[in-house]
Amino acid sequence: MMMTLVIGGAASGKSEFAEELVLNAGNLPRYYIATMQPFDDECRARIRRHREMRAKKQFTTVECFVNLEQVTLPQKGVVLLECMSNLAANELYSPDGAGDDAVASIQRGIRHLKSQCEELVIVSNEVFSGGSDYEGDTLRYLRVLAEVNRMLAKEADTVYEVVCGCSVCHKGKGRTE
Amino acid sequence: MVFVTGPLYSGKKTFVKEWMHWDEETLSRNAVWDVQELAAGCDDLEQLAEELSKKQVVIATEVGGGIVPATAEERAAREAAGRLACLLAKKADTVIRVFCGIPTVIKGEETL
Repeated sequence: MMMTLVIGGAASGKSEFAEELVLNAGNLPRYYIATMQPFDDECRARIRRHREMRAKKQFTTVECFVNLEQVTLPQKGVVLLECMSNLAANELYSPDGAGDDAVASIQRGIRHLKSQCEELVIVSNEVFSGGSDYEGDTLRYLRVLAEVNRMLAKEADTVYEVVCGCSVCHKGKGRTE
Repeated sequence: MVFVTGPLYSGKKTFVKEWMHWDEETLSRNAVWDVQELAAGCDDLEQLAEELSKKQVVIATEVGGGIVPATAEERAAREAAGRLACLLAKKADTVIRVFCGIPTVIKGEETL
């Protein structure tokens, strides 16, 4: 079982890179765990388009907005979870989310997924280099997402940061030094 | 002096404590952190960097990676923080960037 964390800023090419990792993992069943909650028609259209795009690459989409621990996969295959920044927000703010238990709940969910697949690729968001001058509850969210990211980096065998489409390996076989 | 940088909440202080085998008290004695906040309104960054580099470890959070702030004051603060970080990195024998809890040496021969 191998776990990879892919982290990058908005439009950094992280999704494409992560998908590439999954496609290179060989001919195993592919599952996409989608975490984005459809709030309006714009969301729904976006989700439908992405789902069709992935279907061509033989991904089966599994929706999970909160409580990863409840996800059961039909077969042992390759799992792509995107994006952790949505899941963390859902756990914090959804009425059925884990609230203050968000980090621990996500960690249990990740371990539960690990036990059900050959390869796990998780995409998360780098939103921590623009200062800390935010209104309201944003800092709390940032603190939680950062803790989730550090936890994932510990759980993972390989950690990549994607910067303008190029991957920088922070942990694992590809790390230089 | 070792200069440690990295994004917000990336685990910079935790790394320094583990790496140096320091407790919280030793950390506060031998290190200084959030120095990016000292840059705003400072009229002599060179002097500030000199003062700070008397500590064994200096820690700053990267703050230059977002959208250009709306107010002149915030823009100046961000600019000063970046300049201060460059001055500190120049003075440091070792510069370490902590990303997602993972340290990488980006200047010097130190091996972790």
